[in-house]
Amino acid sequence: MAVTDKKDKEVIQKLESVGAALLKQIDKKEDPQIELPVRSLNNIYFDKKSKTIKLGDKTSMRNFLNVAHTRKFMQSVLVAAEIKKVIEEEATVSIRDLYYALKHTIDGTTENTFEEQGESDPIIEDIEASTNLLREELHLAASSKGVVTGDLKIRDGKDTIDLTKMGSGGWGVPSNVEPERIEFKDVNAEYVLFIEKDAVWKRFNEDQFWRKNKCIIVTGRGQPSRAERRLVQRLNHEYELPVYALMDADPWGMYIYSVIKQGSISLSYSEEKLACPDTKYIGLSTQDVETYKIPKEVTIKLNSLDVKRLNEMASYEWFKKKEWQDEFANMKQKAVKLELEALSKKGIRFITEEYLPDKIKRKDFLP
Amino acid sequence: MAEKTKIKTATVEEIEEKDTGMTADQLAKEFKEHSVAEFFKKNKQMLGLSGKIKTLTTIIHEYVSNSLDACEEAHVLPSLEIKIAELGEEYYEVTVTDNGPGLTKQTIGKALGQLLAGTKFHRMIQQRGQQGIGAAGATMFSLMTTGKAIQVISSGGDKGTFMAELTIDPKLNQPKIIKMEDVDRKFSGTAIKAKFKEIKYQRSEQGPFEYLRRTAIANPHAQITLVEPDGTKTTFPRTSKVLPTKPSEIKPHPKGITVDELLTLSHKASGHKINSFLKNDFDRMGDKAIEEIEKQVHFDLNKDPKKMSWEEAEEIVKAFQKITFIAPRLDGLRPIGEENIKKSLQEIVQPEFISVVERKPTVYKGGFSFQVEAAVAWGGNAGREMGKDDSGQAVRKVEIMRFANCVPLLFDSGGCALTKAVNSIEWKRYGIKDVDSAPLTVFLHICSVHIPYTGAGKQAVADEDEVMEELRLALMDTGRKIYRFVALQRREAEKQLKRKLFTKYAKEVAIGIHELTKKPTNDIERKLLDIVLQKLKIEEQQEAKDDLPEELSDEEIKKLEAKEKKEKDKKTKKSRLETVEGDE
Repeated sequence: MAVTDKKDKEVIQKLESVGAALLKQIDKKEDPQIELPVRSLNNIYFDKKSKTIKLGDKTSMRNFLNVAHTRKFMQSVLVAAEIKKVIEEEATVSIRDLYYALKHTIDGTTENTFEEQGESDPIIEDIEASTNLLREELHLAASSKGVVTGDLKIRDGKDTIDLTKMGSGGWGVPSNVEPERIEFKDVNAEYVLFIEKDAVWKRFNEDQFWRKNKCIIVTGRGQPSRAERRLVQRLNHEYELPVYALMDADPWGMYIYSVIKQGSISLSYSEEKLACPDTKYIGLSTQDVETYKIPKEVTIKLNSLDVKRLNEMASYEWFKKKEWQDEFANMKQKAVKLELEALSKKGIRFITEEYLPDKIKRKDFLP
Repeated sequence: MAEKTKIKTATVEEIEEKDTGMTADQLAKEFKEHSVAEFFKKNKQMLGLSGKIKTLTTIIHEYVSNSLDACEEAHVLPSLEIKIAELGEEYYEVTVTDNGPGLTKQTIGKALGQLLAGTKFHRMIQQRGQQGIGAAGATMFSLMTTGKAIQVISSGGDKGTFMAELTIDPKLNQPKIIKMEDVDRKFSGTAIKAKFKEIKYQRSEQGPFEYLRRTAIANPHAQITLVEPDGTKTTFPRTSKVLPTKPSEIKPHPKGITVDELLTLSHKASGHKINSFLKNDFDRMGDKAIEEIEKQVHFDLNKDPKKMSWEEAEEIVKAFQKITFIAPRLDGLRPIGEENIKKSLQEIVQPEFISVVERKPTVYKGGFSFQVEAAVAWGGNAGREMGKDDSGQAVRKVEIMRFANCVPLLFDSGGCALTKAVNSIEWKRYGIKDVDSAPLTVFLHICSVHIPYTGAGKQAVADEDEVMEELRLALMDTGRKIYRFVALQRREAEKQLKRKLFTKYAKEVAIGIHELTKKPTNDIERKLLDIVLQKLKIEEQQEAKDDLPEELSDEEIKKLEAKEKKEKDKKTKKSRLETVEGDE
């Protein structure tokens, strides 16, 4: 119960003040309400100075006596209370744990406080955004799924891990990679390579690409979770390692790249700690198909959803650079997309031994 | 196609018969002997005896109409029991028992064993029209499909109870009494038991159950009990102890008469001259009108009406059409009555709300008086139950009950003016969003000395302009009354929903705030509930100020539709966004 950590005390105070404000309204016989920053496309902006996505200052009220809000209001109060409890017990729980801890049937009904984790996750994000606290500061952990290898050591609590000796599987990124928990040592690398796909990452690891090319290779297995992004952001900040992204040449791959670089809409409130604005896009690009003479049969036709997505992305401020506008236009005109694995058509090690070294040598990136 | 083949075969047979040397006399005799039965067979459709379910419903209708008429004539509140027993595949025994005056030994034969012997034809009176060919038609159908006679027990007037077994001689169209004997039993009324094949019992919208249910609604002074083949016994109770006043026989209006009817009337004429016959036996026929007719016809109106020829009658009818008459008298009609309809719908349909409108009598085609009654029943058990949904709630759909002269119309609904009138109403205007699946029973009754049926089947009313207009006005009036109820009900439901929703979460919210502030949970919860009540009270006061309109205006309907569309769009847009923003 006795919380000693200074940061934790501060967090608890913040949560208690939320409760106190509600109580004050209730005592005045007012409809209790919580003020929340609006986390949607119309309240984010691209901050040119930090080159990241940031949350605007629009807020909205979540009221108890509003048919459309009341359930979320109830859930918000419960989540805030539960987080306070977790910190007081000096524990850290996953967001899934939190969901189960709070899930119960409401008295006299067949309704649950939360029906699925999809209900509690956005509420957690609401509380992070409104208290201006990071998930880690709230003692919550999102599940992570990424892996990393490279010539460096990691201090995780009492353990020191040598990331050159991780075999074929690599080191699994823990959910909390804040400096209080994870320290880097003996970093012997010149850049970080962020790879979209696990299978491609495995090829790079098996070929010991990181040793030959003095780099750290990371994958978030698709859309990376915040732990992988925070880890890379720290390497970028603390060791000034440039970050390169290797993605499928399709709207989804390019979107993931933009999240790594500038951040995402839903996490816009904490992008300062997650985004790596200097990230470069190595590939794949539509131009690569010609440059490397990729056979036509391994390309995939664009579908209508892809085209729609391309048009949407072309309108985002952070994709306004000429190179990207040209790339989108080019992709639409050729009407094809390309997966990383398709390069295997040119030989299994084509991607690690020819394509990537050549791209880096020629500095053939998209900004 | 089948018909064609038959004719062809007959021709072949005829040739063969000629070859065997059959004379024209013999052929004529053959034709005469088979005439009634043949006529019956060939016109089954027109007589309402086609289709296995429809046939059974028609048979029941004939018996029930006879019983109701007999009881009313004898000033007895009708109590009827109809029992349908299944004897085999498509083989049933129908027993209809009433508490009427009974038949006498003298009249029973004619009533049940002779086709077209009824007294109902050519009477200018509102009556339960025959839909088929009368109870004797049922006797005939029984004979044709089973070869059996029908059994009757009757109180026989004052002369003691007797039983009879009888059928029809199809060659002569004469009753054939097989057995008739007195029975030592106290009984008052008539019970008829008859067996039929080629029919089928089903509890469908066109089956006997629905027919009797609706008959009971339109005849609130009658009590009707049905025993179904599976033994289920249903009683539709009497809701009015007052016998309806007898509709008075009114003189025909000249505008609504056909040549054939004119001739029939002329045979019973009271006067000895055509001009006095016209003046005495017709409504609105003054001396001036007679003068006009005299000018237009080419024969002497002093002629004996009994000697009037078809051509002469035709001239008179033509003259009637050219002359302006005062509209027909509007008395003589017998509506069911607002209170009666309300009571029987309440008892038999059991809805939450009923609104009934009785229009004033009026005239169509210039010569026929008629009157419309409409009712809508909403909520509760109103509407036709179509089954249950997953949660066991009854799924209902709108039910349209059509009646002509107190007789339910179950067939040909699509072509009927009553159905068309219901479909022509913009129910949205009256707060009923989706009328097809609404818990709604629409009741429409038209009574007239001369219902404008679309065909000989007498199952659909023709859409005469004046009839449609009256039906629509009546329905719109019921709509206005129901709108208020539906709107208030919806408001109340929304209020309840809100109250439930907020109170449901109050405790959870209180627990959460307690955790954050350490103030007592109960205290917080009580205060939250107070806030909920206060909010609902304020809303209620606000609503009381906004009075409901009588019906929705075009503008409001447009607004409503736009709102529905917006909500729909929002939903699809939201799901789209969710798929795109698959972030973390």
